[in-house]
Amino acid sequence: MNTLRTIAVGYDGSSGSEAAVRWSLTLANATHSTVIVLHAIGLLEHLYTAYPRDVTPPAIVAMAKELAFDEQRLHWHVDDGDACSVLLRAGSSPLDADLLVVGSRGRGQRTGMLLGSTTLEVAEHTLTPLVIVPSRFEED
Amino acid sequence: MVLVVNQAYDDSGHEDSGHPERPERVSAVRAGIDDLHLGSDLIVVPDRVVTREELTRVHDSGYLEELAAYCYEGGGDLDQDTYATFSSWPVAKQAAGAGLAVIEELHRRGDGVGFVVTRPPGHHALRDRAMGFCLLNNIAVAAAALRSLGERVLIVDWDVHHGNGTQEIFWNDAEVLYVSTHQWPLFPGSGAASEVGGRLAIDRTVNIPLSPGATGDILRQAFDDIAAPVIDSFSPTWVLVSAGFDAHRADPMGDLHLTSNDFAAVASSVANFVPRPGRLAMFLEGGYDLDALRSSVHATLRSVLGEAVATEQSSRGEPRGDYVTRVQRDRLAAIEALYSSHDEEST
Ligand SMILES: [Zn+2]
Repeated sequence: MNTLRTIAVGYDGSSGSEAAVRWSLTLANATHSTVIVLHAIGLLEHLYTAYPRDVTPPAIVAMAKELAFDEQRLHWHVDDGDACSVLLRAGSSPLDADLLVVGSRGRGQRTGMLLGSTTLEVAEHTLTPLVIVPSRFEED
Repeated sequence: MVLVVNQAYDDSGHEDSGHPERPERVSAVRAGIDDLHLGSDLIVVPDRVVTREELTRVHDSGYLEELAAYCYEGGGDLDQDTYATFSSWPVAKQAAGAGLAVIEELHRRGDGVGFVVTRPPGHHALRDRAMGFCLLNNIAVAAAALRSLGERVLIVDWDVHHGNGTQEIFWNDAEVLYVSTHQWPLFPGSGAASEVGGRLAIDRTVNIPLSPGATGDILRQAFDDIAAPVIDSFSPTWVLVSAGFDAHRADPMGDLHLTSNDFAAVASSVANFVPRPGRLAMFLEGGYDLDALRSSVHATLRSVLGEAVATEQSSRGEPRGDYVTRVQRDRLAAIEALYSSHDEEST
C-alpha cells in the first residue's frame, strides 16, 4: 500500500462525526497525513446556511489545536450532495483520499438497518478503505 | 388535444411536519390543471398497481424489500433530506403505478398529452438508494416499461436539480436518451457537461449545467443548440419529461431565474420531438413554491396543448458570451475521449 497521504472524514455536526474527526486527526498526527473534513450540502441545507463553504467550523479548529495538529494539513471541504455520495466521491479525483473515516452514527440515524444509515451505505459501496469510528471514542 | 392525468390517490400519509415535499404541492398542481378549464378534454385514469417486475427493471430487489420493511416498522429519516413514514411504501408504489396508467391510456388512445401528478418525486432515486426526497424513480419505471416494448425513449429533465438517479439507471442504455438542464453547482453534485453516458451509450446522456441566476433565454438557447441536434439524430418514439418547477425564480430550493413562461417555451421545444400524438407524458418532480408551481404547470400544459401562453413574461438575462459554446466544448471533449479510449482498448 502507498503511504497514507490523505484522510477524508465526514462531518455533519453530530457527536459521532466529531469523534470521527478526532480519530482522524490523531491518526494523521502519527502518519503526517493531510485531513480533509467533508461536509455534504443536501437539498434542505439550500434553505439555510449551516456551514459556510470557506470557514472551518470552530469546533474542528479547536479540536485541531487541542491535538496540536498542523493546521496547514487540515482542509475544510463542502460539497453538494447527500452525505453518502459526497463521501464516496472523496475517494476519486480531485480529492483522491486514501482513507475514508465516518462516525458509526450521524445525525438522526437509526441503528440496525442499512437504510437510513449513511455509514452502512458508504461501507457497502466504497472502493476506498473505510474506518468506522465508534461514538464512544470521544469519551476515552 | 386531450390531457390525460392520473386519478388523485391518498398521499396524506407521506408527510413530515415542516418538510417542503408536502401534500399541498399536489393540490397546487391540480389547481393549475383546473385553471385550464378543459371540460371533457380532461381524461382522468384510475389507479394502476405497479408490479414487482416493473419495479425491478430499475431498482434492486434488495432495496425494495428494505424500503418496504423500513416503512412497515414506522419509517424515519433515510438521509439528511429524505424521509419515509409507515405509509410511504404504498404511496410510492401508487406514484410509480400512476405513470404507467397514464402511458397505457395514451397508448390506447393514440392521442393526447399525459401529466402524471405524483409525490414523492422520483428522479434522484438510485437503483439501490433513496435520496433527494425520492424513494422510487417513477419516470425510470415508465421509461423501462416502454423500453421493454421496444420503444426508444427520450427523457427531458428540466428540474433545477440534476436527475442523478435517472442518469445512473440508463447510463449504459443506448435506447434511452437522457437530457437534463439544471443549476450547477447544486445538489446532488452530478450533471457536469462531461458526463455523456457510459461506453455502451456514448452521447445518450446530455447534461446542460446552468450557472446560478441563469434566465430562460440561456436555457432555451442551450437546449436548442446542444440538445436538439442529439435528440434529432436519436429519433425517439416516446418522450417523457421530468417536469420539476423548482427552477422558477420564486422557488426557495434553487437559484435559477425562470418564469412560468420559460417552462412553457422549453415544453414547446420538447413537444417538437414528439413523433406522433399520444407519445408525450410529463411527470411531476420538484417545485416547492405553491403559487409558482400552479402557474408553471398551467403555462406548461397550455403550451403543449397548443394554446397561447400569457401569464408571466419570459425571462432574459445579461449576455453570457460563449457560455453555451463552452458547455458544448466540454461535452464533445468527453465524447471524443470515450471513443478514443474505446479504440485503444480494441486495438
Ligand atoms: Zn428539484
